[in-house]
Amino acid sequence: MSVVVVVGLFDGIGKAAGGGNALRALPLAEDRITTLSSVPLPDGAVSRDTRRIRFPRATLAGWFVGALAGLALALGTYLLYPLITGGKAIVSVPPTLIITYEVAMLGALFGTVVAGFREMGLMRFRTKVIHDPRIHEGKILLCASVEPGDQERRAIEAMREAGGIEVRAEEGVL
Amino acid sequence: MNGATNPGGGNHLERTDQGGLYRELSRSNLPATKRWYAVTGLLLLVTLWGVGCFVYMMKVGMGVTGLNRPVMWGALIASFVFWIGLSHSGTLISAILRITNATWRAPILRGAEAMTAFALMVGGLFPLIHIGRNWRFYYMIPYPNSRQLWPNLRSPLMWDAVAINTYLLGSLTFLYFGMIPDLAIARDHATGWRKKFYTVLALGFRGSHNEWRRYHVASTIFAILIIPVAVSVHSIVGWDFAMAKVPGWHSTIFAPYFVTGAIFSGLAGVVLVMAVLRKAYRLESALTTVQFENLGKLLCTMSLLWGYFYFAEFLTVWYNRNPEEWEVYRSYGGHYLPLWLVMVVCNFVVPFPLLCMRRVRRSIPALCFVSFLVVVGMYAERFLIVVTSLARRNDPFIWHNYFPTWVEFSILAGALAMFLLLYTVFAKLFPIMAISDIQERLFQATDRVVGGTTVESIARPEASGEGEHG
Repeated sequence: MSVVVVVGLFDGIGKAAGGGNALRALPLAEDRITTLSSVPLPDGAVSRDTRRIRFPRATLAGWFVGALAGLALALGTYLLYPLITGGKAIVSVPPTLIITYEVAMLGALFGTVVAGFREMGLMRFRTKVIHDPRIHEGKILLCASVEPGDQERRAIEAMREAGGIEVRAEEGVL
Repeated sequence: MNGATNPGGGNHLERTDQGGLYRELSRSNLPATKRWYAVTGLLLLVTLWGVGCFVYMMKVGMGVTGLNRPVMWGALIASFVFWIGLSHSGTLISAILRITNATWRAPILRGAEAMTAFALMVGGLFPLIHIGRNWRFYYMIPYPNSRQLWPNLRSPLMWDAVAINTYLLGSLTFLYFGMIPDLAIARDHATGWRKKFYTVLALGFRGSHNEWRRYHVASTIFAILIIPVAVSVHSIVGWDFAMAKVPGWHSTIFAPYFVTGAIFSGLAGVVLVMAVLRKAYRLESALTTVQFENLGKLLCTMSLLWGYFYFAEFLTVWYNRNPEEWEVYRSYGGHYLPLWLVMVVCNFVVPFPLLCMRRVRRSIPALCFVSFLVVVGMYAERFLIVVTSLARRNDPFIWHNYFPTWVEFSILAGALAMFLLLYTVFAKLFPIMAISDIQERLFQATDRVVGGTTVESIARPEASGEGEHG
C-alpha cells in the first residue's frame, strides 16, 4: 500500500491540536499522525507517540557487554601476565571491580547512543525525509501518513479547516 | 530574552521571536573578527611555546624540571589533578541539573559541558608529559606485543587511565548528544560550508514528536550514567595518592575529599567561563544574575564542605601526632606556609563569608573574583598534596624542597592557553548556548496572576502523565 504524507503548517499549538483532532476524526490512526516542532511538545498535546521506547534495554545490554569486557581484560591480564608476589593472590578482586565498573559504564553509554540514534531514526542521509525549517520560527508542522486519493484529499481539507496556513502533500518519509 | 515582542498571554515562547532568539544566542558563531584572530593567535603562540618547552624537556631530559629525589611528582602532576578536578563540575552539574529539572539550568549547560571536555583533554596530557621517555607512552596501551609487556591493572595509575578515558568519551558523547537539536537549528539557519557542516553533525534531527521523546529519555539516561562515572574518576585520582604508603597521602578520606575539591574548583571554573562568555558574546539576557546567584550558592556549599573535609583530615593527624604524618603538616607552617595560607584563605576564609552574602552572589564581578580565588586556592591545595608529602617523606636526610622551573611554568601556561584555545574555537564553530533547552524552558513558562501580581509559572509535562506509553 503506497502512502503519501500530508503536511500542514500551523501557527501555534492550539491550532495544531485542532488539526490533530480533525485528522483523528477522519478517522486516521494515532500512529499515522505526528508533529515537527522546535521544542518538545507534551505527549498528547497534538499527537501521541504510540511506539514503545525500547532503547533503554540497549543501555542495560551495553552495561553487561562492557562489564564482561572489563572483567575479561582484568582476568585475562592476571592469567596471561601473572604478577607473582609472595603471599598475594594472582587474581586481585578490588582492581577487577574498578576496571569492570568503568568499562561497564562506558558500554552503557555507548549502548544508549547507538540504540538511541537508531530508534530516533537519525543518520538517514540518503532518505528524503519530511522537514520544514519554518518550525524554527515558532510554527508547528502537523504530518499525517495517508493513502493517496480520497484519504489524502480529506486530510488536506481537514487541516485547512483547522487553520493550517500551508497544507500540501509531500513525498518522503516521516 | 531580547526576542520577546508581545507581552500578551500564552507561553513565553509564543511571545518570542525565535529567529531573533537564535541570532542572539548564536552570536559566537558569527564570522571571525580581527579581535578574535588576535586572541586566537596569541593563545596559539602560548600553546606552541608550551609544546616547544615540552619538546625541549623531552630532548634534554627531566633534569630541566625541578624534580629531584624524593620529590618525583611536582607541578605537572599537581596540574593533572587540578585539571581533572576542574573538569568535574561541567558534566556533573549539567547532569544533576538535568535530572532535577532545575529551570535555571539551560543557559549554562553547553558552556559547562564543553569545559569538562576540554579540561579533561588538557588534564589527560599531563601524565604523558610527566612520564619521561614520552615516546614510549604506548607501553601503557594493552595490546599483545613482542616485548611481553602488559599494563599492570593492579596499579591505581592504570585505573586512572581507564577511568579518565571513560569519562572523556562519556563527556564528549554527552556534549555532542545535548547539542544535536541545536545543530539542527543551526543547520536550518546556516548557509555555505556551515550548512553542510551542521547537516552532517545534526544527523538528520528534525524535531519530530518521536525524536523529541526519545531524545529526552536518552538525555536522562546519559545524565544518570555520567554522574557515577564523574564521581569515580576523581575518587580514582584520589586513590592514586591514597593507595601509596606515603605520609599525607595514605588516607581513607581522600576519595570523597578529592571529589569535593573537584566539584568546588569545577564550579568556580564554570562561573568564570560563563562570565567570559556573557561578556564576550553579549549574552546578558540569557545568562542573568539568577544563574550566577545559584552557582554562587553551590560554591558556598562546596566551600563549607571543603573546609569540613580539610579540618577532619587535619584533626586526626594533629591529635594522633604520628611523627611521619605530622612532619608533613609541620612543613605547612614552615617552608610551605605561603602556599598553605593561599590555600586556606582562597578556599575558605574569604569565599565562605563572602558567598553567604546575597549581594556578592548577585554581583557578577564579585562572584568572578571569589571564583578566581577558589581556582588559585585549589591549585595551591593540589600542589601541597602532591609535593609536601614527598618533600617530607620518611628519612629527614633526603628531605628536599621543590620549586618548579621555567620549563614547568611554560608547560603549565601552554596548557592553560590550549584549554582557552580549544574553547575559543569551539565557541566559534558550535552553538555555545543550549538554544533548544532555552526555548523549551520558555515554552514551559507562562504568566500566572496571583492576587495583585503576576508571577512566572513553569509547566512540568512529565508530571502530567507524559510517557505513559514509554
